[in-house]
Amino acid sequence: MAKSDDCVHILQGLLVFGNVIIGMCGIALTAECIYFVSSPHGLYPLLKATENSDIYAAAWIGIFVGLALFALSILGIIGVIKASRSLLLVYIILMLITFAFEMASCITAATHQDSLTPELFLKQMLERYQEPANNSDNEVTKTWNELMLQNHCCGVLGPSDWQEYTSAFRLTHSDADYPWPRTCCVLDARGLPVNLDGCKLGVPGYYNSNGCYDAISGPVNTHAWGVAWFGFAILCWTFCVLLGTMFYWSGIEY
Amino acid sequence: LPTPPARLPYVPHVPPMALLGKVTATTFTLERPHCVFDGHADASDAVWLAVAFANASAAFRNPLSRADVPPYQQLPTARSYMTLETAAAAYSCSAPSPPVLRVGGDTACRDQARQDPCNGPLPSPGPYRVKFLLMGCRGPKAETRWSEPILLRRAVSPSAIDPAPTRRGTAVVVIASILASLGAVLATAVLGALGAKVWGSLCHRDLGTDAFTHRSYRTHHIPPALPQPLPPSCGCRPQGCATLPSN
Repeated sequence: MAKSDDCVHILQGLLVFGNVIIGMCGIALTAECIYFVSSPHGLYPLLKATENSDIYAAAWIGIFVGLALFALSILGIIGVIKASRSLLLVYIILMLITFAFEMASCITAATHQDSLTPELFLKQMLERYQEPANNSDNEVTKTWNELMLQNHCCGVLGPSDWQEYTSAFRLTHSDADYPWPRTCCVLDARGLPVNLDGCKLGVPGYYNSNGCYDAISGPVNTHAWGVAWFGFAILCWTFCVLLGTMFYWSGIEY
Repeated sequence: LPTPPARLPYVPHVPPMALLGKVTATTFTLERPHCVFDGHADASDAVWLAVAFANASAAFRNPLSRADVPPYQQLPTARSYMTLETAAAAYSCSAPSPPVLRVGGDTACRDQARQDPCNGPLPSPGPYRVKFLLMGCRGPKAETRWSEPILLRRAVSPSAIDPAPTRRGTAVVVIASILASLGAVLATAVLGALGAKVWGSLCHRDLGTDAFTHRSYRTHHIPPALPQPLPPSCGCRPQGCATLPSN
């Protein structure tokens, strides 16, 4: 009957279109997660030190999920056009597995992004930032120094972090000479403070009064939301396409 | 008897401007007195800062000469000391000067255990009270009033910081719940479809009636049999057997 043939063709067309979208989104997800993992912001040592680098694990899963989505979308297109039950069955099962992995990645990214509070970084900085850095905290100290130099910031919430709490830094540097590390001072071209007394006193203009938390959380939040919400959108679309494919599969005759 | 020093009405105080480091754990700053000692000071006089624990300030006695000045090292025992010896001309009306004085900024004073008066960091949060003392060749000539008690910062251990988030963001709950429900629907759909197929094939094999409903079969068109002409044979008729011609 011509009408049911038309319906079948429309369903096939929709499924092919849906799979094309899935393929493109898979490539986009892979690209985004590769960019996040090789991030130029260099914040990975800080996250690793807080034992909170699961956002990176979520991004790694996202890379492979994106490639799998691309491959499976091609398989799905072939299966729909050829109306092959076995191909579509393989497609459905592998898509479900990919769906589960991407679900894990999204939920991990969203949960761990939530746990990157200022207090977390504050505690880690106070306990591990030491000048000169010893072997175990070398990465953390170097990362903090670069962060403070590039973003012209000091501490997590401000230089008063070093005043309100004792720290590993305070054990080796006296409060009178170093109310806060020298990297918090405004430095000249040679890396020396412009006005050391002004920096120690906290005279505006000779020290960096902002906290670095915005510089840390900004990029990490963007990436975590990218992985979590983009993955969520892909999964919603994949859900619809999978339901359509299952309906199509059950209607194929032997 | 030497004349008692003149009491000036000036009260030393921490500067009102916003300086993040004006009070730290071991140092504090004071606003530089300006035009306070003019009229009492000669060119050779020196202005000292007397620092005492707040509960020991009443017991502080002015030293009679420069040799009697209690140095920084005596702070734990004498509960007071004097520091920041400056020429009186530096506090005169016409002198350009930085607006603050920092008490406790000389770490070499403590590290090298110097016995002369110097400006070492304060060992405890205090509170402290300070006053300025104008010393001449024959002893103290003028003094300001004692300041209000100055309490230094006390640092807390970072183990008191709780890094856990105060509450879960709503986004996490939304993502997790929606994804979990989608996954459950998909799993149910797949299991349901597969189960229906398995159930259907099992049931149909037993009954054997529907085995063909889903199979397309071609019907072979069998025309009804036409009456076949009889072969030539002995036809028995009442007249007797005779070979009948076939027609």
